[in-house]
Amino acid sequence: MPISKRPPEAYAADQAAIDTQLAVRDMARSFGETRALDSATLTLRRGEIHALAGENGSGKSTLIKILSGVIRPDGGEFMFQGSRARFASPYAAQHAGISTVYQETLITPEMSVRDNIFFGTDGLIRHQRSKSQEISGAHLALDQLGLPGLDIDRPMWTLSLAERQLVTVARAIVRPWQVLILDEGTSALDAHRRDRLFAYLRDASSEGKSVLFTSHRMDEVFDLAQRITVLRNGTTVATVDVAESSYSDVLQHMSGREQAAALMEETNGGSGEVRSAPSALAQRPARSGEPVLRVSDVTLRASSQPMSIELKRGEILGIAGLEGQGQVELVEALCGLSRPRGGRVIVVDDAGRDHEISSYRDANRRGVRYVPRDRRQEGLFASQSVFDNFAIASWGELNRFGILKRGAARKRYQEYAEYTRLVGSPNQPVSTLSGGNQQKVLLGRWTSMHPTVLVLNDPLRGVDANTKEELYQFFRSLAAEGMALVFLSTEIGELLVLTDRIAVIHEGSMQALLPTAEATNGKIVAAMFGQNPEEES
Amino acid sequence: MTDIASGPAVRRLYGRSALSRVISVQTLPYLMVPVMFLLMVLTLSGFLSKSSVVSLLILASLLGLASLGQTLTIITGGVDLSIPSVIGLAEILITQKYADGWSLATIFLVLIGLSVVIGVINAMAPILLRVPALITTLGTGFVIQGIALAGSHGFTQGKVPAWLKTTVSPIGHTWFIPLPGIIVAWVILAALAISFLRFTRIGREGFANGANPLAAKLAGVRSTWVLIVVFTISALCASLVGVFFAGYSGLPDANVGQPYFFETITAVVIGGTSLLGGGGSYTRTVIGALIVAELTTLLVGVNFGVSAQEMFLGIAIVLLATIYGRQSDISTRI
Repeated sequence: MPISKRPPEAYAADQAAIDTQLAVRDMARSFGETRALDSATLTLRRGEIHALAGENGSGKSTLIKILSGVIRPDGGEFMFQGSRARFASPYAAQHAGISTVYQETLITPEMSVRDNIFFGTDGLIRHQRSKSQEISGAHLALDQLGLPGLDIDRPMWTLSLAERQLVTVARAIVRPWQVLILDEGTSALDAHRRDRLFAYLRDASSEGKSVLFTSHRMDEVFDLAQRITVLRNGTTVATVDVAESSYSDVLQHMSGREQAAALMEETNGGSGEVRSAPSALAQRPARSGEPVLRVSDVTLRASSQPMSIELKRGEILGIAGLEGQGQVELVEALCGLSRPRGGRVIVVDDAGRDHEISSYRDANRRGVRYVPRDRRQEGLFASQSVFDNFAIASWGELNRFGILKRGAARKRYQEYAEYTRLVGSPNQPVSTLSGGNQQKVLLGRWTSMHPTVLVLNDPLRGVDANTKEELYQFFRSLAAEGMALVFLSTEIGELLVLTDRIAVIHEGSMQALLPTAEATNGKIVAAMFGQNPEEES
Repeated sequence: MTDIASGPAVRRLYGRSALSRVISVQTLPYLMVPVMFLLMVLTLSGFLSKSSVVSLLILASLLGLASLGQTLTIITGGVDLSIPSVIGLAEILITQKYADGWSLATIFLVLIGLSVVIGVINAMAPILLRVPALITTLGTGFVIQGIALAGSHGFTQGKVPAWLKTTVSPIGHTWFIPLPGIIVAWVILAALAISFLRFTRIGREGFANGANPLAAKLAGVRSTWVLIVVFTISALCASLVGVFFAGYSGLPDANVGQPYFFETITAVVIGGTSLLGGGGSYTRTVIGALIVAELTTLLVGVNFGVSAQEMFLGIAIVLLATIYGRQSDISTRI
């Protein structure tokens, strides 16, 4: 057919087809009885950075696994670069040009950084790349991601969580890619490293490559993406242009609840009205103001200055810092997991007596409880039920001659589940819960035992916006009951919303200890980079 | 703005037949027990008598008791390869010392004491030496085997009390129960083991330790104590099996437990308890022990030699493990 006779719409359609890198229509997938994906529709253009938003359990990860060949769909259309695609394996997807960074930082701890970056690229016997190519490729990728000079022969387990996450990104970008998918690929990164990664992604997209990413940080989504596709209950409910929409629009699409947006506004305003806990959880009289934990001249590293902090009942202390500045050491010293180089960590008991913390077990006995950062490695028993995961720490209290008092534990669980709106059956495997609900289970493990001090190591990492909101309220009500909270977070906004004071750690020393009422984003960032926060205008 | 073309979702639900609902991965081992029993009744003439069924159950009891400790150690995240040697040691001890004129009470006290020592060593060695239990129990197994062989050296004479023989005899009675003592002992200990795992603090902490040792430590689980209890139970069960074996032959034989090196693991795996730890139950191992006993009896009944029996067991393990492995594919782990 002569081209001139084609109607103008046909050209537009052709142009759209050329512009489209990847298109998915009505994608569906079930796991047993659970319908993880019902009807997902998504168009990813060339040179576009596109965000996939949705609450935990909305089907984002399932869709991403289909796009990257990990699982196969039950139904729906999948077009990639103009032709029908059906990847038999992750290898096939990579080969076609789709590189994926999965939500879990999948690494082989004993292997070197270089091997972790390149594994899967070799054939059975023959290496696809020479050793020198691998070395220069790894260095280039790590440079681009802001990890220059990282020793690529180091075993993976010696790296920090943020570094590991960046190595998984490096693994994705050393392969020739047209589409890069990041599933919560920034969750462990501090602001500085995240900006560096974003700059890389923007550069790549300007060369016509496409990026699809998920993030539970709404500011990241709006900062990076050009368009946002929102999933709810496995179905695409909207695709919006970032330029034409607001946080609350997207939140509303995600939750289908109008009040979600209003809630978000409320916290952003920092009004922070404390909702009272139900009577079951508010048994303890609030005795705010008495000291419960004293950090006395603690030095974290050989070169660092001693720091002293007094934590009071009902107080929420935030801990901030760039990755690897010593805030994790501080938190671990507070709960007895490691001994500081100098100084003492002291728990004050109900009678006002001081006890120096000598070990993790000792800290536990004295009511200092720790919620670890890495849910999967340090928190969850994946093969066990929700109830078993919740109750494991309670058995020390709830037993009679070693025989469990299951009834009492069930009651605790039900009260807690009701209060935190923890959905699902207590008997289902914990691995079937969404990330947010898994975190609720872990928080319940300790909070149901009424600790005096709860040390939280970045507890809301990878938790969706609405669950976060619920948990902020939960933390506030715990504090209102008299519990003291230490809250390490990589997200400054979160610290500003939730805490009473913020300690900023820089190079192993406390750079600043700011009352949150006087703190601003700028002051904290300044302190994180070793500046005097008061000089920040 | 939206660019979603709304349309009916393409659905392709996999229908599940009624048969596939009954025969699921979970129920398969349970179904295999009656199915194999039926197979035995059909192929082995005269099998359907009390004495053959009781003989089968004695075989299953010996394996089931030896695998009790194995189940606990595997659930807790370890494994106990010293079980066959402990069986041998106990067998030597009772047959020889009883012949030497020791009282039964003394012999049992010594056995219990030895089991506790072995259990503590097996539990502590992996912690102190930072070597997996797979290696340390292999080592302690060799040491115990050496001691048992040295102890029995030159002696082929032994004696056991007459009542011990009836506990493992197909025509034995236990009080008013028309079953030999070993079967009754198995039923009681099985009930205790199942309750232990389900209803005690140490049981639950064992599962936690097997599922994720680091998370267990952070959740305040007393891992060392749990491992000591579990490995001690394992050694005690192995000693008990050694005592029953003594009742069988009445003669000292340090190698009597050796087939149980792999058979205890086989019973655990065929029952469906994961070797990775953190899951499973003793109920499953009871089923596994019954299946192994049935398979062995069936193969012996149709005149298969020891080598052929082992081949069939090997195939059964791989087949069943393959089916269990279907429970979770890679997509649920990423």
